[in-house]
Amino acid sequence: MMGLKKTGIVFFPAFDWAISPTHPEREERLLYTRDQIFEEGVLDLPQILEYPPRLATMHDISRVHFCVPRVQSRVTEAHLIAAGATMLLGDRIITGEIRNGFALVRPPGHHAMRVVHGNRGFCNINNEAILVDYLRRRHGIKRVAIVDSDVHHGDGTQDIFYHDPDVLFISFHQDGRTIYPGTGFPNELGGPKAFARTLNIPLPPGMTDETFHYVVDNLVLPVLNDFQPDFVINSAGQDNHYSDPLGSMRFTAQGYADFTKKLNPHLAVLEGGYAIESALPYVNLAILLALAGEDYSNVREPDYWPGRLQENPERSAKVRQMVDQLRELWQKRNAVDVEKLFGGGRFYQRKKRIYYDTDYIDEEQVEKLRLCPSCPGYLIIDSRADHGFGHPTRAYCVSVPFSACAACHQEAYDAYEEGKQMSGYHYVYLQDKATDVYYSYDREKRQEWISEGPKMDG
Amino acid sequence: MENSIFQKHDRKKRMGPVELPLGVGVLYVGVDVGGTFTDAVLLEKGFVRAMAKVPTKEDLLSSLLEAFDRIIRQGVPVELIKRVVFSTTMITNLIVEKKYDRVGLLIMPGPGLSYKTYNFPTDTYIIPGAIDYRGREIIPVDLSEVDKALALFAAKNYRKIAVVGKFSSRNNAHEVKVERHLRGKFPDWHCELGHKVSGQLNFPRRVVSTFLACATREKYRGFIRSVQEALAQRNIYAPVFILKADGGTLPLSYSPEAAIETIFSGPAASTLGVQALTPEGETSVVVDIGGTTTDLALILGGQPLLSSKGARINDYLTHVRTLAVKSVPMGGDSVCERVGKEIIVYSERMGEPYCLGGPMPTPTDALRVLGLTMLGDEERAREAMNMLGGPLGLTNEEVARRIVSFVCDFIAREVMLMFTQWEQEPAYRVWEVLQKKKVRPSTVVGVGGGAAGFITQIAARLGCSPIIPPYAPVANAIGAAVARPTLQVSLRVDTEQAIYTILEEGYQDQLKESHFDENKAVELAKMWLFKRIAKYGLEKDLKEVEVTRREVFNLVRNWVTVGRLYDVVVQSQRGITHHVGFEVSNDGA
Repeated sequence: MMGLKKTGIVFFPAFDWAISPTHPEREERLLYTRDQIFEEGVLDLPQILEYPPRLATMHDISRVHFCVPRVQSRVTEAHLIAAGATMLLGDRIITGEIRNGFALVRPPGHHAMRVVHGNRGFCNINNEAILVDYLRRRHGIKRVAIVDSDVHHGDGTQDIFYHDPDVLFISFHQDGRTIYPGTGFPNELGGPKAFARTLNIPLPPGMTDETFHYVVDNLVLPVLNDFQPDFVINSAGQDNHYSDPLGSMRFTAQGYADFTKKLNPHLAVLEGGYAIESALPYVNLAILLALAGEDYSNVREPDYWPGRLQENPERSAKVRQMVDQLRELWQKRNAVDVEKLFGGGRFYQRKKRIYYDTDYIDEEQVEKLRLCPSCPGYLIIDSRADHGFGHPTRAYCVSVPFSACAACHQEAYDAYEEGKQMSGYHYVYLQDKATDVYYSYDREKRQEWISEGPKMDG
Repeated sequence: MENSIFQKHDRKKRMGPVELPLGVGVLYVGVDVGGTFTDAVLLEKGFVRAMAKVPTKEDLLSSLLEAFDRIIRQGVPVELIKRVVFSTTMITNLIVEKKYDRVGLLIMPGPGLSYKTYNFPTDTYIIPGAIDYRGREIIPVDLSEVDKALALFAAKNYRKIAVVGKFSSRNNAHEVKVERHLRGKFPDWHCELGHKVSGQLNFPRRVVSTFLACATREKYRGFIRSVQEALAQRNIYAPVFILKADGGTLPLSYSPEAAIETIFSGPAASTLGVQALTPEGETSVVVDIGGTTTDLALILGGQPLLSSKGARINDYLTHVRTLAVKSVPMGGDSVCERVGKEIIVYSERMGEPYCLGGPMPTPTDALRVLGLTMLGDEERAREAMNMLGGPLGLTNEEVARRIVSFVCDFIAREVMLMFTQWEQEPAYRVWEVLQKKKVRPSTVVGVGGGAAGFITQIAARLGCSPIIPPYAPVANAIGAAVARPTLQVSLRVDTEQAIYTILEEGYQDQLKESHFDENKAVELAKMWLFKRIAKYGLEKDLKEVEVTRREVFNLVRNWVTVGRLYDVVVQSQRGITHHVGFEVSNDGA
């Protein structure tokens, strides 16, 4: 019916939540966005439907994250609301009540990785990842694509889906050598079971809409077209804007809106963007109008004039070259000898160092993926987090994928039971996505918690 | 036809006004000028002393005089009347029937939403000029374009102009500049400015509200003149107020400034009336069943629920704050038809009920057959039921029960929907999301012509107790009589730019205080509220004020706090002056 034409929005500016009073992620962040959106009267447009947010449950978060020690200790209500808002729009899109949606919410989430010891990059939990696994569990969605347009590499989202063949993650961002978190290079392409399901396009500082759209037209859109996802999410960070205080890129509101129109995502989820006066009111308005199929050509930053931003041809040429190489790699992805690239054997193993910039935590991880011939394989993460005051926290985390085979399922449970006996670990976890049951074990207290989640209706 | 559905109850003595000698207490008069009837009541403390229902005639003055004469009989000391409050559907009807004056629109939207989206009901001229969300000028206003626009309006014979800029409530400089320019050229034209009509955000709604305010102002003055004339002829010199859509009242003499705020004051009057007629603190649904529509309103914990968004009228969205009243298309005159083996009640009206000589069977006919109303001809009502049920082999009573059941199901469903919609109101703060809870009514209060026949069954479906309060037919006039005067002041301070604005007054000024803080913001807002109270001469009525909103945002630039934004709303106590009529039934029995 008419619902097919509608765009849903959850606007949750969290006017009573901040990381700290002067932190960029503070109460004031979406204040002017509210002013602009309210004054324009866009929420009165018949094709835009505003929903109040709802709360995600601890169970929804356990489906994605290993929160150390427990979910309750790592999230605030604001996080539950931001994640819940994203899930609510996902539900409405799947049921056909709305055509697409915009989760204009804070706090953001795309730096939150699978294991969460604290806040990094202003993020505690990953809103998009929580939505993806919820859609798979609740609605049986198979293939999902996430396109991250934040100036910072979406390292959290990449980490969570690095071994997941059904989730395509594409991130373009300012070159990691010049900005937090320092990752997101073209050679980060996904694990042996999900090769080329992760694509990164680092951009030299100063690039404008022209290069932005070269990447979109020549890599993002063709790859999406090949991948044929059931659901497309845009991690809509707005810090590529020319006025952003943290980033050094030079995209415009019009550039973001054109991108939104071309990508035509099911859901846009706000990530970063800290030019709260000069960019956010205009970029958010433009994105919302683009999603709703409205004319956004009259949206313009007060200090913008055509021809203000000129592209650097040399840097632009380098980006084009990189885009062409990545596209070639994508086209040949099935011909790549994965065993040669990653090695064979029963397990693939890699080591990671993760720094939590907000909470000053240094984490070391050893990640082991079972190279199973009949499923994506279960994952074991051995995590050691140094909070800077001695006595690092150690956690042993086992994750079973949605489509685990019976053998992997059993092996993962065995690994969890073994982990519970191993000295040296404070916390042991088992995340069983296949049956939607999540275990956590506190060795010191010798106590186990099991989350079976709410019983599904119908 | 004097709403004869209530005659049955009128016969029970308790429903009529109390025939006691007048005490020496203060008297209140409430008058609701509706499109069909003008209702009036005279209250003494919590007692209804007299009530009247007279047809509203073309000559408003004579209707008002007739109503006054029916409630203020010989011997009533008019000097004891403390207050007279009017509610009227006049402006609503003017707008619905598009009988207002021609107004040209001069708007300054600047960048943003495409102008193609705007679909205002009159000639609209766009002037270059823009202000941002903090009131800073982005594009200066172009007066040469204003000249061109005025020439066009003059040629088209417009004499009234509404001037509205985007974010004009944050800085009115552009609107004021255009007005000054206009006055210089056409001193006799009427000019209405957006920031004076509404300080709330939402530019398209401000445009429509300003347009309607401008277009109805003169006709509204005519209404005021009739009211003043009627009062003078009957030597009533008490303060006179007009009810607004949000349930507050304004002194009549100042109300032309806020004429459009009287739209939808009719439903507000009924709701306040019910609030006055039912025990304190109840959570109830008010079901006002009329001929064509049924109006639903919510009283939560004794207070009528305000709508979170402004009223919609003629498909135009305004900034007018109203009580949350939902009108559903179902009433005593709705058409009933047989479809296959089903009997269905449609949401349309084809005329009077069959028992009153109309063309089609209606719920009123069903009530007549079941003996739940004495309205109309019983034989014709039976005939109507037989037309529907005959071919199905149903008795007239069975058909009537099915119809009543259908109507009750429909209305009960709409009530539940209204509660869910209320729960669906947006929340922008963590605490707002967390404090949302399910609230369900405990009573269903019926007013209006069809209430008696339906209310018990509707209440049963909702698991509530049914109530038909005494004086239900004049609940609207009672609501008007007990409505409190309300005044509100919204202050916005931007300490970085050292400016402040008073939204309701359209006033803006430099902030001179150098060490401004939250307490000073509240004090400043209160100072303006008391100023406003004094301006309206309400010092005696409005002593208590409350802070209804208090928001502070730190303006942080480069990790340093450079200023603060304060949003403070203070208002006088809302609601009703007193409850009405509980002791009455005992006294009167």
